[in-house]
Amino acid sequence: MSNKLLTQAKEVVLLAKKKGAQGVRASVHRRRESRVEWRNGKLDRLRESTRVGLGVTLLVDGRYSSNSTSDLRPEALEKFLSDAVAMTKVLAPDKHRKLADPARYGKRHAGDLKLYDTPGITAVNAVERKKAVRALESAARGAPGATKIISVSSRCSDNLSESSLVCSNGMEGARRSTAFVVSAVTYVKDKDHRKPVGWWYGVERHRDKLPALTFVGREATRRALLGVGAAPMASGRFPCIIENAVAARLLGWLLSPAFGRNIQQKRSFLADKIGQQITSPILSITDSPHLAEGLGTRTYDGEGMTTRKTPFLAAGVLKSHFLDTYYASKLGRTPTTGSPSNLVFSGGTKDLKSMVTAMSTGLLITGFSGGNSNPATGDFSIGIKGQWIEKGQPVRSVSEMNLAGNHLTFWKSLRELGNDPFPYSSTRIPSLRFDKVQFSGK
Amino acid sequence: MSKTPSKDGTVDRRDFLKVVGAGSAVVSMPVLAASCTPKGGLTRTDTTPRGAHTTYFDQFGVDKGRLQRTLAKGLSRGADFSEVFLQHKVSHWVGMEDGEVNRAYTNVALGAGIRVIKGDATGYAYCEDLSEKALLATASTAAAVADGTPRVRPASLAAISVPNQYSIDVPWTDVSIHKKLPLIQRVEKYARSRDKRIIKVTVFLSDETSRILVANSTGLLAEDHQPMAVLKVSCVGEHKGKTESSGQSISAMDGLAYFSDAVLKKAAWEAADRTTLLFGAGSPPAGTLPVVLAPGVTGILLHEAIGHGMEADFNRKGTSIYANLIGKRIAPKGVTILDDGTNPRLRGSINIDDEGNLAQKTTLVEDGILRSYMHDRISARHYKIESTGSGRRQSFRFPPVPRMRNTYMLNGKRNPEEIIRSVKKGLYAEMFSNGQVSIGAGNFTFYLKHGRMIENGKLTSVVKDANLIGNGPKVLLTVDMVANDLEIYSGAGYCGKDGQRMPVGFGLPTIRCGAMSIGGRKS
Repeated sequence: MSNKLLTQAKEVVLLAKKKGAQGVRASVHRRRESRVEWRNGKLDRLRESTRVGLGVTLLVDGRYSSNSTSDLRPEALEKFLSDAVAMTKVLAPDKHRKLADPARYGKRHAGDLKLYDTPGITAVNAVERKKAVRALESAARGAPGATKIISVSSRCSDNLSESSLVCSNGMEGARRSTAFVVSAVTYVKDKDHRKPVGWWYGVERHRDKLPALTFVGREATRRALLGVGAAPMASGRFPCIIENAVAARLLGWLLSPAFGRNIQQKRSFLADKIGQQITSPILSITDSPHLAEGLGTRTYDGEGMTTRKTPFLAAGVLKSHFLDTYYASKLGRTPTTGSPSNLVFSGGTKDLKSMVTAMSTGLLITGFSGGNSNPATGDFSIGIKGQWIEKGQPVRSVSEMNLAGNHLTFWKSLRELGNDPFPYSSTRIPSLRFDKVQFSGK
Repeated sequence: MSKTPSKDGTVDRRDFLKVVGAGSAVVSMPVLAASCTPKGGLTRTDTTPRGAHTTYFDQFGVDKGRLQRTLAKGLSRGADFSEVFLQHKVSHWVGMEDGEVNRAYTNVALGAGIRVIKGDATGYAYCEDLSEKALLATASTAAAVADGTPRVRPASLAAISVPNQYSIDVPWTDVSIHKKLPLIQRVEKYARSRDKRIIKVTVFLSDETSRILVANSTGLLAEDHQPMAVLKVSCVGEHKGKTESSGQSISAMDGLAYFSDAVLKKAAWEAADRTTLLFGAGSPPAGTLPVVLAPGVTGILLHEAIGHGMEADFNRKGTSIYANLIGKRIAPKGVTILDDGTNPRLRGSINIDDEGNLAQKTTLVEDGILRSYMHDRISARHYKIESTGSGRRQSFRFPPVPRMRNTYMLNGKRNPEEIIRSVKKGLYAEMFSNGQVSIGAGNFTFYLKHGRMIENGKLTSVVKDANLIGNGPKVLLTVDMVANDLEIYSGAGYCGKDGQRMPVGFGLPTIRCGAMSIGGRKS
């Protein structure tokens, strides 16, 4: 199938050139998803989909546009490209728009990155999926404290994704991957009509790597029960630990000012920070595109440039920005890549439990809500929930509080990383322990 | 309600909600806010029927017979109900950065979503090919939600008459890019010349043309043409070594005529003013304070704090904090909240919902009493009542679920100055950028882009960048003053739920609430 998508992309490139484009980048994708959603002992939804689409970037007389369609019938495609080329000609020219440098297309990683699970995708069927969602629910209902349960939902899906990319200046690629997902969500009773929720999930490239269904179901219920009786505490500055499963939310705000567009558009507190210490020296983050089975693994990026391992932070020092060809050109710099693949972190030695013991007193953050961050200044503020810890033990549930700070000081108070990189995300972030930071509560 | 105050008040831009994790819904408003559109107004005036004939068959290349056979295939394994949703949607974006209109994007989507219901269970599948073979195969996949032999046959299809609240003279698909370029250039000039501290301006004009056709096994056949216009302006300002950014967005179910010079200038100036205002702003103190919400975009409070909790799917499943509270007092007297699909040209308005029901105005809370949830077909059947016309979906790739349209609180009797004067120490919240709610626990947040402190009944220093958090039902019970200055926000607001992103509207008069936790950086 990937061969067919590659052929299609090549045809689109030829056709767009015939219509008057000098530079063309075309990608064709096909994604199939089968999903079962189960709720309280009954089938809730069955979903089946196959999605096909074309994306084409055009450079016409120094002008740029990007276009996509799901209508791939030959006559529709012909008109789509004619219209797109005509529209592009009306725009102002932009000397910074160009396809990636062909020198960046070479030396692609050649080994097997184990992104496609043939036996897994072949074996799974509707009967298997239904068995899984039932098992997830019975695990959730079998957990300690199950008498408080109001509702359990579970989900099982498998996904097959194929795509091709062709650039008219000499790049072509095709790839395919699978992904398997299981999840459970539990709601439990609390006072004042409150119904705290807990969820857990697993997502893997290989079906046999998924976490045990009993674990996923029980974990959803355990987490829901953690929210019972939650209330805000008084405002103050205290130490905290952010659990690995939710930490990527905060990290995203540290990454976004490192993107070329934000730098060039003066919305970045990291524009002039390359080579400077911006976090605690215990933190190192590397963009690692070639992790076997990784959820963000890829051998070429969206522009077709060959991916390579790149340090983002080394011992707290900012090493690189995420620059695509366009914004690199506008900034007069060399492109890196427009976005990270997998982010791999320096690790610690302790698991979450030992970190909690080490913190002794403080807040264990298990969830975030809302919030935002100002990419120009680094100021951020976000809602949290979690557990108040005393003498290394959880003593009460906390909610309706905010954590606030500025990224340029906040990350310097990072004291410890866990040994628990979160496996179900391309951001493989471990749990993080911080020294005193500002919380607002009642 | 017959009037909408359309003051030049605060606007924001908001963008989208998406579902994060489970049981929570997030709203995020991008940079800009939007204010009342000149076409706002909450009275339904344009009710010209478009006639009961269906006109899109040619466009989709299908006929009644093909739909009828597809519906029958959906019922072939014993389901109660089947439905076909056809959609053709064309979207354009044209943008300016660093002084040049030098980028454009287009997207075309064509497909059919087929839904089959058996009891409470849904089978859903879609295809991007409208041939009979593809439609039948897709219907057969969705039919697998049932496992037996056919019990009902589809009724013969009869088209319903749909009044049009957003007729436009020229569809966006016929508007040349030549007509859009000068508008974008003008907006940029207005924003840049507003204040010399503005150093970067980006402008995006986007439009959508969605044609939908819904047919179901009860014989319903309905269609709609949904035009959408959006303008976003973002500014970056520099002053004494400090950089700040903010912006504005405006949106309506309308054509090119929406973008009058006055509307463009207002949006551009607001984007610039909102940016330069931040140079004098600091962080509010961390802790709790009473909050006065300025009118307009602050309606996000209704959306997050109570709106999602009143979507009937969460109540049917028993997971909402408002489950089983119909007929009970949930707010003080004087608080009336509507969810309304019938406001001409407002962003969240619909002629029909995505299940083919005519647009409605739903009273959620009447004088403090919870009156109704928002229903789609499944929840309406569960509660044995009529749908409220709230079944919406992002596209043919998704099944419909209960969703908000335009959610707003009706005017009270106070005047806004009186409300501000009544607060000794508090926060006056003016512009929000995003929010989120946890449906079961009822805790909601919204992010304050800027506001002012209230000291001894007067507005004082400007504050910015703080998350506000509270418990929806608790906060609603503390709304003790409602002003007479309702303003409907008309920015490009999006709501995310169940993995689907929908355009929504909301609005609020000035109100006073009890204390909320304010995520400031200062102890």
